[in-house]
Amino acid sequence: MSMKSGLARRRGSLILAATLAICTTVGAHAASAQQRLLETGSSLLYPLFNLWVPVYTKAHPGVQITTQSTGSGTGISEAVSGIAQIGASDAYMSNPLVRMHPTMLNIPLAISSQMINYNVPGLNRMHLKLSGPVLAAMYSGHVRFWDDPMIARLNPGVRLPHKQIVLVHRTDGSGDTFIFTQYLSFSTPAWNDSVSYGTTVSWPAVEGGIGAEGNPGMVNACKGTPYSVAYIGISYKQATEHAGLGEAAIENRAGKFVMANPGTVQSAVNATSAHTPRDERISLIFAPGANSYPIINYEYAIVNARQPNAATAGALREFFNWALSPTEGNSERFMKQVGFVALPPSIVALSKAQVARIQ
Amino acid sequence: MPAMKFRAWLALVAGILPASLAAIVLFLAIYSWPAMHFNGLGFVARDTWNLGNLYADPIMRHGVQIQPGATYGILFLIVGTLLSTLIALAIALPMGVGAAIFLAEAVPARLRMWISFLVELLMAIPSVVFGLWGYVVVIPFLGQHLYPLIAHSLGKAIPFFGEPTGSGYGLLTAGIVLSLMIVPIIAATLRDALVSQPTSLREAALGLGATRFEALWKVMLPGTRKTLIGATFLALGRALGETMAVLMVSGNALNYLPHRIYDPVSTMAAFIVSQLDSALQDPSGLAVRSLAEIAFVLAIISIVVNALARLLLLVWNNSQRSVVV
Amino acid sequence: MTVLAPAHRTVHQIRLSRRLASLTGWTLSAACLLALSVLMVWILAVVCVRGLGAMKLSLLTTITQGSGGGLLNAIEGTLVLSGAALLLAVPFGVAAGIYSAEYRFTRWATTIRFLADVLVGVPSIVIGYFGYVGMVEWLGWNFSLAAGAIALAIISLPYICRTTELALRQVSNDLRDAAYSLGANDRRVILGVCLPAALPGILTGILLALAVSVGETAPLLYTAGWSNYMWDGHLTHSPVGYLTYAIWTFINEPFASANALAYAAALLVTGFVLVINIIARFVLDRRARR
Repeated sequence: MSMKSGLARRRGSLILAATLAICTTVGAHAASAQQRLLETGSSLLYPLFNLWVPVYTKAHPGVQITTQSTGSGTGISEAVSGIAQIGASDAYMSNPLVRMHPTMLNIPLAISSQMINYNVPGLNRMHLKLSGPVLAAMYSGHVRFWDDPMIARLNPGVRLPHKQIVLVHRTDGSGDTFIFTQYLSFSTPAWNDSVSYGTTVSWPAVEGGIGAEGNPGMVNACKGTPYSVAYIGISYKQATEHAGLGEAAIENRAGKFVMANPGTVQSAVNATSAHTPRDERISLIFAPGANSYPIINYEYAIVNARQPNAATAGALREFFNWALSPTEGNSERFMKQVGFVALPPSIVALSKAQVARIQ
Repeated sequence: MPAMKFRAWLALVAGILPASLAAIVLFLAIYSWPAMHFNGLGFVARDTWNLGNLYADPIMRHGVQIQPGATYGILFLIVGTLLSTLIALAIALPMGVGAAIFLAEAVPARLRMWISFLVELLMAIPSVVFGLWGYVVVIPFLGQHLYPLIAHSLGKAIPFFGEPTGSGYGLLTAGIVLSLMIVPIIAATLRDALVSQPTSLREAALGLGATRFEALWKVMLPGTRKTLIGATFLALGRALGETMAVLMVSGNALNYLPHRIYDPVSTMAAFIVSQLDSALQDPSGLAVRSLAEIAFVLAIISIVVNALARLLLLVWNNSQRSVVV
Repeated sequence: MTVLAPAHRTVHQIRLSRRLASLTGWTLSAACLLALSVLMVWILAVVCVRGLGAMKLSLLTTITQGSGGGLLNAIEGTLVLSGAALLLAVPFGVAAGIYSAEYRFTRWATTIRFLADVLVGVPSIVIGYFGYVGMVEWLGWNFSLAAGAIALAIISLPYICRTTELALRQVSNDLRDAAYSLGANDRRVILGVCLPAALPGILTGILLALAVSVGETAPLLYTAGWSNYMWDGHLTHSPVGYLTYAIWTFINEPFASANALAYAAALLVTGFVLVINIIARFVLDRRARR
């Protein structure tokens, strides 16, 4: 898909020279000596990068970092093709992609979680209980109304309205879709057999379903649509609260209904992170433990281990080591603002080992 | 001969324009060839767009590498594109004709220039600004006030207009926003045609006892029929390819056909923008090529529609004015 | 509204039902025009009120930081992209326009004219997608000024070509005959006599093409990309920011600071486009008619 061979470059520059000869005077404009990095991808990581970058670039004036919220799909693909130096993703790369691009690294930077939000007027203040099978039934179109027996059974005593459920899903390639569908797949065999999981899935055709762009779009669509349900990354918790959306308590593997908070996320991390392999591509979804929040994940930086020049590689290593440091990027003052949890020391060590491979 | 040299040189430089059009069509065709081969004709008849299991290993099918479960069909996009365009035309056509009539016949000449200019400015407003307006103002207004009203009054008779009215993102909203973007094309072209009609026509009709409106409606307007058809085609072409505004208000439906006029839809043009980054996730690369196939189909449709429009205007229209829209 | 219906002389006795029908006709058509004008004013009012409410001097002097900061990078990017697109499109577009006007009866001229009209109708996202797979990926330019500017240039070409042609057609043939009779060749007649005479009309077309470029979004998303920083002078391998991206992305964010950027960007883009149109209409067009 992205042939960045020397031949392509030469062909490119030849045609460029021909067509853009007229622009060369403009192009002669002196290039700045600053190291420029482009971060693009996950809208979940975007708020964290927006907190990191001003602090980091202030201390390191030689680096400029553009942050862009596009979706994890773009993050992975643009890091692979070299368009972006840092691809932000909530999902790790698939096996076939890793085989095609063996120099790509998947480096966890933090631990995130995902909320299931809804907008049911009158019920947004309480936390409706939802489970994987019920969510799967909703997103498959089997459960169409909020007062369906499946939902009512989980929420005894709650007066559920007889209103059609409006499903909101992501249109962009999204790590949030990845972890949400993974939760559905791991908790509901029927979903796993029919839709399965991925950064993009073929959503069952359910009338009225809305596609939204990025986590911001999810918040806005859910806010503007009564009786909707959406999956939204934890770093938009301020936004969902401001929008007055409800947040569901989600059933975990132990059958308990839990909300995302540092305690439940930490408990899930403790139960799963020990299995993390050296390339750190692992799902943390549906962790065991009575207090474990079921939808958590590593937030990855997708980076090419072979950079075009030493200066870029050095700038990337320096930035990642800063971001992974428990006293700098991974400190509580950043994590708390976006609702993330810092990496445990063992994972920081694995990530730093991967960072050292960037050359 | 230096004169010939100049002319040949000019012809060559001018050739970059046809060349770029040819390059676009050819490149998209070549690039999407593997997708065309895999998708076959069913591409336009299926309504499932499924990249397959992206986390599984690619498999070979019909000599093409694909992800297991991948099927590409764009029927829901074609339906969304056609329906939103039709709604837009259904609103824009009467509105454009009405506005053109009043502009050409009833507005005093001095004022006419200003109002015409205002109408034509509508054509200059960028698509994304229409989208912003639709997203911020129109969706809440339509979704909360107008649609429940329509559903309440029309819904009982025609199920297509019935409840639930949804969120405001959807087919009707896309059609309404689109209609505003194409009304000026129809209004401006028709006004010019009306103004350039010979006054003797009107005088003859008035002399026969027609009212001024009858003279206009039964004599002058039929004379501009061909221009109107040509302008409608132009408007159609614009609405088919409109991207940003539709993307922002249509609700981006995936894999299903609208059952009600308020249901979310997606169009071919908007889908290309919203799906490229998902498509790039496909290790087999087929998704990006299938998107190229959509672009190719869209290019062909718009080329045909525009060519038809220009041919109609060219063959039929006697007036000297050539429309650059 | 009905008062606006023009008085008509009734030579014969016109039956009431026909007069009523006429009245209804006028009323409806007036309503159409009124609705259209109101909608137009509504859009402009939304853009102006929200845009002015969000506008701060710092937006014009600082660069974007995440989903806040300013728009300086986007303003510069829009100007550079549109400027570069014009630099590319003007020579080719004007040449195509000259050819199809001055040799208008040749087959090549008919072809160019026709294809220009067809090219106008090709959706800009199709050109953008072509730019992505062709320039960004295949040629390996990445998101860059070059890819964005070429995509915009292709979009501008037909506008420039057609307006140039129309302007040249309005140049009186007497002028050409006089020049030829003095022994001038094609080149001197066209470049020395016709082109200067048609200049205001050509400039109008170029300005309108500029307005189209400034307002485009779809063809730039996957060619120019986006950058939080000022353009660094590189033609390839370096993304560029632009105002329409800010509108599209930042209106979608649930943060007030981001929405403010979108509104301000919308005001800037709309204002710029309208000013260009007004200049084209009232300054150049009038001079062209003189």
